[in-house]
Amino acid sequence: MIKVMQNKNNILVLGVGNILLHDEGIGVHVVRDLEEHYSFSEQVTLLDGGTLGMRLLNAIGQADYMIVADTLCSGKAPGTVSRLTGSELKGRVAAKNSQHQVSFLETIAYADFLGMLPETVMIGCEPKDLSAWGTELSLEVAEARPLMLEKVLEEIRLAGGEVRPLADA
Amino acid sequence: MVERLVIDPVTRIEGHLKIEVEINNGVVTDAWSSGTLFRGIETILQGREPDEAWLITQRLCGVCTYIHGVTSVRSVEDAVNVTVPENARHIRNLLTGGLFVHDHPVHFYHLSALDWVDIVSALSADVSATESLANSLSPNAPAIDFAATQQSLQNFVDSGKLGPFAGGYWGHSAYTLSPEENLLFAAHYLLALRQQVKAGRMHAIFGGKNPHVQSLRVGGVTCQNEINSTRINEFRSLLNEMRDFIDTVYLPDVQHLASAYPEWGAIGGFKNYLAFGEFQMSNTDQGDLFLPAGVIMDKNINQVSDVMLGEINEHVRHSWYAGSTARYPQNGETVPNYTGYDTTDRYSWLKAPRYQGEPMEVGPLARVLVAYGMGHSAFVNAVDSFLAKAGLGIEAMHSTMGRSAARAIETKVIADEMGYWLDQLQPGASARVSVSLPSQASGIGLNEAPRGALGHWISIENQKIGNYQMVVPSTWNLGPRCGSGLRGPVEEALIGTPVANPEQPVEILRIVHSYDPCLACAVHVTDNDQDTHYTVKLG
Repeated sequence: MIKVMQNKNNILVLGVGNILLHDEGIGVHVVRDLEEHYSFSEQVTLLDGGTLGMRLLNAIGQADYMIVADTLCSGKAPGTVSRLTGSELKGRVAAKNSQHQVSFLETIAYADFLGMLPETVMIGCEPKDLSAWGTELSLEVAEARPLMLEKVLEEIRLAGGEVRPLADA
Repeated sequence: MVERLVIDPVTRIEGHLKIEVEINNGVVTDAWSSGTLFRGIETILQGREPDEAWLITQRLCGVCTYIHGVTSVRSVEDAVNVTVPENARHIRNLLTGGLFVHDHPVHFYHLSALDWVDIVSALSADVSATESLANSLSPNAPAIDFAATQQSLQNFVDSGKLGPFAGGYWGHSAYTLSPEENLLFAAHYLLALRQQVKAGRMHAIFGGKNPHVQSLRVGGVTCQNEINSTRINEFRSLLNEMRDFIDTVYLPDVQHLASAYPEWGAIGGFKNYLAFGEFQMSNTDQGDLFLPAGVIMDKNINQVSDVMLGEINEHVRHSWYAGSTARYPQNGETVPNYTGYDTTDRYSWLKAPRYQGEPMEVGPLARVLVAYGMGHSAFVNAVDSFLAKAGLGIEAMHSTMGRSAARAIETKVIADEMGYWLDQLQPGASARVSVSLPSQASGIGLNEAPRGALGHWISIENQKIGNYQMVVPSTWNLGPRCGSGLRGPVEEALIGTPVANPEQPVEILRIVHSYDPCLACAVHVTDNDQDTHYTVKLG
């Protein structure tokens, strides 16, 4: 049984990344999976944030809880799925991990600076291939995709959001 | 002593720009501006549906979002000779105006202010002296807790991770504001960052979303159902917030900066100006524009000539395209041919547009001077008032500071006018006409993007796009030399700039940033190194 840790009113589930750079897009793929296979209670908003960077300030500022799905370079084996809290995330701002992360982590830094950053958790996947150009995921990241999905769903439930599987076509 | 200095990439711009200068005894004696990325959108468009061009061209840039989209639909509407309904004309004006009202304050605070404002110096400001300063400059500005701002800046600096403030030339001798002025501007930088989110939201009311609106079509706009009192009031409320911000924060800040750096009213200027004009005021007279079209040569503000499009040629002699023929855009070609970076030969992905053979500056300063020269009363009053408050004469407009001044002035004038455009929206009336595309036609879409004059030239063959050529503002401003060897505007503007320390060329950045470069973003290039310098490997 899932124990609800808190009841949030505006849960933003944000997938960021560049799908044209293979594994870089895993966060976006995960949000699309969520859209395709599940419906959610009203307080949950799914957003494909792509590479919008600072343009995400509006959506981020309106949330009181944010679950980010993204690639995360931390020297682990490709396909490793990790969970970072907001404070652990802020500690990574200096390091340039991936191409969009330069702007997304800076967006988080700015949002924090402006008092617009909600409580945040990131579900990250260690990439293998960040090269241009293609939308296919590497084998390791493709295999990790369902696990990432599960972990994001878990976070949504922990925040008080309801998840209902859609009947598969 | 002669030395060469390269800034690559130039940051706090949009796109990929490299600036190289020759410095002789501390003064710039020559300059080369290089656009370091090729997009190929013109090539991608060939063979596609004319009424879908706007979807693709809009993706040229998410900063100047929307503007390429509307230029595309205009080019097709010109080709088929269709006039959009009044509602559509007003919506498009509101969307264009909304773009200006968003982009210009962002440019001032987030892309150029830190060339003049020393963030680190703000940490030693006296808070109550800052409050007095704020009150004397603009008593109606929103109240700010300067102590809190200073503390959060301090926390940021203490964390060791300067983030967006890293790599600045803090402490450079060219920064001459007091710590209190620096703290005031730093607080406004943050305020502006929160405020611009609302301008984006305003744009999305009739655009559908921002960036990259959904509501454009050849023949009109698709947001007819949003033309209702609820949406109109929502837009008006956000607009009025922006107007307060412009009047009490943005404009006073630019005025103060101009008076604090008077010598920069004589550095970094150019002499020729071109404006296509914008904001169609009539469905029957295409020449009736709120921002008038015009040409000024050799700083002769009192002699504004009509724009003759046929006088435009794009040169490729010093650019990475095949051949050396300068072409009128309708007959333009995009045949990329990279031959290596060579400042004595070809050195940029930007072509070099010329008007009557002359390089032309486009953008806020061009528009404001054209309007001023034509006696447009809103602009005459705004410019004269600005110059009086800053203690400068009209000559000072032809400068780095003049560009910032013009940007702020036109933001105010446009924002003040937008309420009238809102008033003219008619709920229930049509916002779109259907259009059937001919098999052969050609058309031109002209516009003013926030950064300057913009044109799309389309030819339709067998109902598909045959040729498509775009001449964008930053091509005019940041393009290289032409076939006659004349420097482009930024290259010319850099000549004579004093550089106190080549390791920290803030003076050069002031001029380059004043053009609000927007070279169209694409792939970013990262380096595993966490240094402030990048090595770019081409090819």
